[in-house]
Amino acid sequence: MTFETEFAREPVAPAPRARSIFRRRTTRVIPGLPLTLGYTLFYLSALVLLPLAALALKAAQMSPAEFIRVISDPVVTASLRLTFFASTTAALINAVFGLIVAWVLVRYDFPFRRLFDAIIDFPFALPTAVAGLTFASLFLKDGWLGGLGPRVVAGVNALAGWLGAGPLLNPTALDWLTFPYTGQTAGIVIVLVFVGLPFVVRTVQPVLLEWDPEYETAARSLGASPLTVFRRVIFPEILPAWVSGVALSFARAVGEYGSVIFIAANIPGKSQIAPLQIVTRLDDFQYAQAAAIGVVLLAISLLVLLVINGLESFSRRHERAAV
Amino acid sequence: MTIEIRDISKSYGQNQILRNIDLKINSGELVALLGPSGSGKTTLLRVIAGIEQADAGSGPVLFDNVDVSDVDLGKRRIGFVFQHYALFKHLNVFENVAFGLRAKPRRERPNEAHIREKVQSLLDLIQLGNMAQRFPSQLSGGQRQRVALARALAVEPRVLLLDEPFGALDATVRRELRRWLRRLHDTIHVTTIFVTHDQEEALEVSDRVAVMNGGRIEQYGPPQEVYEKPASAFVFKFLGNYNLFQGRGQGAGGEALVRPHDIVIHRDADAAGEGAQPGVVAHIGFGGPVVKVELETSDKSRVDVEVTAPTFRDLDLKRGERVFFALRTQQEYAHDFVI
Amino acid sequence: MAGAPIAKTVLTSARPAPPAHPAVRATLIVLAVSFLTIFILLPLINVFVQAFAKGWEGYLAVFWPPSPPEGATLTAVQTRKLAEAAVQTSRTWSAIGLTLQVAAIVVPLNIVFGLAAAWATTKFQFRGRALLLSLIDLPFSVSPVVAGLVFVLLLGRNGIFGDWATHLTWPDPFSLRWVGFENGFPLAFARDFTGVIFTPLAIVLASIFVTFPFVARSLTPLMESQGAEEELAALSLGASGWRTFWKITVPNVKWALLYGVILCTARAFGEFGAVSVVSGHVDVNDTMPLRIEKLWNEYNNQAAFTVASVLALLAVFTLIAKTAIEWKTARDLQQQHQGQAQ
Repeated sequence: MTFETEFAREPVAPAPRARSIFRRRTTRVIPGLPLTLGYTLFYLSALVLLPLAALALKAAQMSPAEFIRVISDPVVTASLRLTFFASTTAALINAVFGLIVAWVLVRYDFPFRRLFDAIIDFPFALPTAVAGLTFASLFLKDGWLGGLGPRVVAGVNALAGWLGAGPLLNPTALDWLTFPYTGQTAGIVIVLVFVGLPFVVRTVQPVLLEWDPEYETAARSLGASPLTVFRRVIFPEILPAWVSGVALSFARAVGEYGSVIFIAANIPGKSQIAPLQIVTRLDDFQYAQAAAIGVVLLAISLLVLLVINGLESFSRRHERAAV
Repeated sequence: MTIEIRDISKSYGQNQILRNIDLKINSGELVALLGPSGSGKTTLLRVIAGIEQADAGSGPVLFDNVDVSDVDLGKRRIGFVFQHYALFKHLNVFENVAFGLRAKPRRERPNEAHIREKVQSLLDLIQLGNMAQRFPSQLSGGQRQRVALARALAVEPRVLLLDEPFGALDATVRRELRRWLRRLHDTIHVTTIFVTHDQEEALEVSDRVAVMNGGRIEQYGPPQEVYEKPASAFVFKFLGNYNLFQGRGQGAGGEALVRPHDIVIHRDADAAGEGAQPGVVAHIGFGGPVVKVELETSDKSRVDVEVTAPTFRDLDLKRGERVFFALRTQQEYAHDFVI
Repeated sequence: MAGAPIAKTVLTSARPAPPAHPAVRATLIVLAVSFLTIFILLPLINVFVQAFAKGWEGYLAVFWPPSPPEGATLTAVQTRKLAEAAVQTSRTWSAIGLTLQVAAIVVPLNIVFGLAAAWATTKFQFRGRALLLSLIDLPFSVSPVVAGLVFVLLLGRNGIFGDWATHLTWPDPFSLRWVGFENGFPLAFARDFTGVIFTPLAIVLASIFVTFPFVARSLTPLMESQGAEEELAALSLGASGWRTFWKITVPNVKWALLYGVILCTARAFGEFGAVSVVSGHVDVNDTMPLRIEKLWNEYNNQAAFTVASVLALLAVFTLIAKTAIEWKTARDLQQQHQGQAQ
């Protein structure tokens, strides 16, 4: 971008170098580094690092055998499995629909396009408790979606009967749309799709916006079909951002608590997510157990963070190599 | 105010930008730091300003024989004009120029009426008296440049430091502004250092030129001296077009450099005199007052010659004609391994 | 950046590209629009529909219990219902009050931190700067429940500083009252708390943790791209560091700062998981999201949605502000570009 190269600066205040303190004090031209850096480090340490260290310490107090025993408790493994499964499913749904949404918002003009673009961030802005509340009520028997299932089944079967065929749908075919079924997995996945949606759209969108359509025109003029152009030319370009977005939405889903507990039935061993397990253990004063599960969750999110950073540096290198 | 710096070095990590620089600037002089990019000229300017600190073990920076190495940027009483002006985007022209006055400690701060008067007179000086209420984004590049200068002058600096002052402007504005800068300097007479990579600009505007290369000052002197008696092959090459004759002069290892306008073309060998060589006119480029003639010598190398338009008319050269050329003057240097 | 819910893209008109097949185009648009409608618009509309399930009267009754008709004699049942309603509304008000108080402490603290962190990380180069930036981002990738858990493990009864923290007595800053000059100092705290976990202080700590990166994160990219030349210019003109900061830096980043503050406030108001863990499920520690959960669990759906609608409205306002700020900064940038080109 010309704007950046034009403003390419020499390092303004370079790192301090060893120098004799007696000859000259080590001045920095811009003042305030000791104050601001000191305050930043203090605030960060006291409010983030120290508490996280407490978690690590608590977990470290357990022997490895004890740790494994806690983690392999059937209720805990069930909750971890549910969290993992629901988060993965939600991330995959977001992978597909997030890509479509980003594509449509960037490439096509349609009524209310800017409105739809603005509401993408809504899951960021809406408190999770409100999200959980409204989704839970949508899937109640008298809710807009929960009430839809039986009606659709009845309608389809009535139509089939009128046409002389037997009932097409099993009466329970769409029951997964209604609580208590939504309290098992379907509902959990649905709210996790909601909270993770912006990550995919907002990471892919900038790449699509910067994409120069001339490459596409060139590829098309060489006789490639639109699908081939997408697969071979556009998709590789957005792949790193897309994977980052999906990973982010997965990480968010793994830790999500507020929205899920409203919609889930929260039955131990069946529909309890891992964060709820932590809360349950804390309520029973089982601090070590809670810490162990907490460490597992933290490890997952740090791992995802690492993957994303790796991807970012990979695509940066890739870009530089291309220039 | 005089400025003197002694034995200044500066590195960023492994990268040495300035190597043992010494420089002395007389009071009221307008000095150009000239050099290609990466030669260290901007860094030197920033060290003088106090934006950068020289490495440990460097000598002092003296303003009027007082060491200011330990004096903060804001206390050195310098006026610094940044390459991209660094105007305050959210303040209008008037407030930009008034900023330094308003920032003075209460005891030294002039009252509002004085500030208004002073700023207005500065704006008149830079011919922007009627644009006081405009914001930087509403000004052209040349206007911004002048506002940046007025802002620096408002605090009555002891020295004015300009980093590539005309670098971001287009050619016509550049030429206009540099004459204006010279006139301005002649009126206010404040010691001024400016950085440029444009030799024409440096030679035309300054009292003295410091030619920099690879973190060193290769030559420091008045423009005429620097141009006519370049101290090194680098200076010769950097200051203008040249022809290179290998292996002449100082033994087989040396090189001789000749400016295109220091070559005379003759139609016959006798008139050309001793040492004249034959050549064939390979190309003629009309450039208005100066015509560029390209000659091909017997060993197939090319020689650039510049002749004035009247001379060219007298010679009446055509492409492919055989002529003779002689060197009016030449500079000989041992091989320069720095480049 | 990982986990940062700060995405700044300003849609211009659709990019001119080779036309897609109309059927493909239509299918994709329908898919995207129905996905967004079902997953975002429908839940949002549902909040308000449910909140107004009993009309305006029912909506307002969540905050102000209906007073009995004047002079009417009430049955015992009616009296009890009225008393219950009064208790419920007072709990709701206490939740609103606590939420505001927590935000009033958390947001200013994070503004100061965000400005300091952005100044340190963008105006200077130093070893470990990249690490510091990722550490500042860290709370974004920590589960809210874990954010609450760490404070319980640190300051709870069996925590590392448990002994000290459970006996800590601290005054409620919002209980500062005028007590007159007769007792010496005219101001005094009317209320003290003991302990940290299961008190509002823990809620403040957990809220700081989860809102930690917002202000710093919205400032750093902008301040990095702006560089330090304007600051250097101000300093060279003799301005002090403070003056440079207030007169040059802050005005240059005011929109980004406002944006960060809005995001930080929205999250502080809406945080559920972290706050829930440290609140001890005590009524006096309820913030608005916790109050919503309690009302929902008491099958008082309409009241739950009424409180939720306030937060949802705030979220809508956040989005509008975000969009407006993005458009404004995009326009400013464009203007500068045009200026540069002259």
